[in-house]
Amino acid sequence: MDILAFISPLFVLLVIGGTLVGIIFGAIPGMTATMAVAVCLPVTYSLGLENGLALLLGLYVGGISGGLVPAILLGIPGTPSSITTTLDGYPMARAGHGEKALRIGICASLVGGLVSLLILDLFAPTLADFAIKFSYVEKFLIILFALSVMAALSSDLLLGIFSGFLGIFISLIGTYDVTKGGNGEWRLIPPGTSYWLESGFSLLPVLIGLFGLAAILDEAETGMKAGMSQKDVDIGKHERFSLSIFRGQWVNLIRSSCIGTFVGILPGVGGSAASILSYSNAKTFSRHPERFGKGEPAGVMASEAGNNGLTGGALVPLLSLGIPGDSTTALLIGAFTLQGIQVGPLFIGNNPVTWDAMIFAMLIANLAMFVLMYFAIRYFAMVVTIPKHILFPVILMMCVIGAYTINYGIMFDVWTLLIFGVFGWLMTKIRLEVAPFIIGFILGPSAEVYFVKTLESFGDLTVFFTKSWIAVLLWVLIALSVGGSAYLQTRKGKSAP
Amino acid sequence: MGNLTHVTINFDTSHLIFPTLIGCILGLLGLAIAIRDRRAIAASGAHWRDILGRMDKPRFFGTLALTIAYFSAMVPVGDIWPNTGMGFLLCSIPLVAGSGLLFMRERSLRKAVPLMIVAVAAPVLVWWLFTDLFFLTLP
Repeated sequence: MDILAFISPLFVLLVIGGTLVGIIFGAIPGMTATMAVAVCLPVTYSLGLENGLALLLGLYVGGISGGLVPAILLGIPGTPSSITTTLDGYPMARAGHGEKALRIGICASLVGGLVSLLILDLFAPTLADFAIKFSYVEKFLIILFALSVMAALSSDLLLGIFSGFLGIFISLIGTYDVTKGGNGEWRLIPPGTSYWLESGFSLLPVLIGLFGLAAILDEAETGMKAGMSQKDVDIGKHERFSLSIFRGQWVNLIRSSCIGTFVGILPGVGGSAASILSYSNAKTFSRHPERFGKGEPAGVMASEAGNNGLTGGALVPLLSLGIPGDSTTALLIGAFTLQGIQVGPLFIGNNPVTWDAMIFAMLIANLAMFVLMYFAIRYFAMVVTIPKHILFPVILMMCVIGAYTINYGIMFDVWTLLIFGVFGWLMTKIRLEVAPFIIGFILGPSAEVYFVKTLESFGDLTVFFTKSWIAVLLWVLIALSVGGSAYLQTRKGKSAP
Repeated sequence: MGNLTHVTINFDTSHLIFPTLIGCILGLLGLAIAIRDRRAIAASGAHWRDILGRMDKPRFFGTLALTIAYFSAMVPVGDIWPNTGMGFLLCSIPLVAGSGLLFMRERSLRKAVPLMIVAVAAPVLVWWLFTDLFFLTLP
């Protein structure tokens, strides 16, 4: 790794700054790592790719980690991935061990982050090397598999699949891109809108709308519930913290980190599944499962190692296959697009400096997260008291900046932000799923090229089933994910009163 | 069987193949959802009444109205001082102040003063950052 090729004081500063801002976002209930990345994306326009990624990866790691602060101190998960941290962290805080619970969570987060980073470094290049051999058929089926996994993990399979296909449909609005082998003709453009929609909806305004403005509208709908005051935040008395608390818990930590990483590798599954799976495994294998949910440190460890394990895992499909592992890594695609770089199987081989920079940035981000949170946890605990009436207007303004500057000053992108902000809010009301929609929207144009070019080359639909053993395997996986989910949902429906 | 799976692509109309296919799948999925959830869809009026009933209407619709006003005003204001980013700056200050006041619970002068400071400082800082440091065009 030629570190000197990209490392600079600015690079390190951006990672640390990004981690700090990410922790603040994660620590405020209602704000997520995804929102942090969406809001700060415009800042990367003027930075190079490596420096821009340094900032965004810091935000990602910080955003996921910061969620443990309100989860432990208030019993409210700061991010969805901290949901199981509340189960044992909050009882610990109520018993006067808030600071201890926070430090346990911070140490576990570091382990989770580092294990996932190691797996990312080892696994992504191997997977990319393997994926280079894929033809359009396998590439199309991988997209279909990613969508089917996400739909399968939706609360409603049918609505999940519908959301994914809706995302694909909307992504097809505009010109069939000549640079990708299309014929340059328009399609799906409503009359009178061709001036704005000739190139379709830009990715970033759509993402910022769905994750930024929609969240603000959601908060506005519920009346911007009053923030916490300092007296609500009880960190407990200062206790001497010793690493001996981790004695006998290393298996739990490593297992949870690996579960988190594996969940991250599955496209679109998300941090909440990572922490829930890690937590339930820790409980199953514990000698004292009855203590879980009542302030058991092992529960905090499992949850935090699991959700931070997600960070490296989610980058594996992004960097080796071009498929985002979660909504935050979907936003990272935007950062690559801004710099004119396409992620996929060729990315690591063609961009070794960027790849090394990403690994290094993740390492610094995890270490910075640990140092910042461990030694300044009492200050971060105060972050949860920042009033929403100050934060949300500033975020709204930053959303506009992000949308406007993406294409160097097109006002339609700002209106796109509003359209998809309202659409994102509406989606939750009619139970459509945002994650499959986003992945469908991002991957739709590629899916089209792979599908049409395959048919142009082979002229037969059976090629999708007979091209290679990988194609057959992917169909089996698609059938298993959809069939398994349908079976589980039917059983759940029958057992419901 | 071979004829059934055989497909000939006409390049001139190839832009319509995938959208048509996805449209058909969406239609079928929509139909399946409509059949499965027909009772819920028939009762959707009550669902929306419930959402509207629980909604904080002034804050929700106020946010929408302020956002639309903000977006609409930015370009005309910016055209008065072209290529300076003034449209963004001069519209963002009232937006942050207005939406902050809208979001604030139990309004008081003590709470409003920090908000007003942020309403001026944040847009000025962002405007300076993007126009002077990053050389990006703002409206």
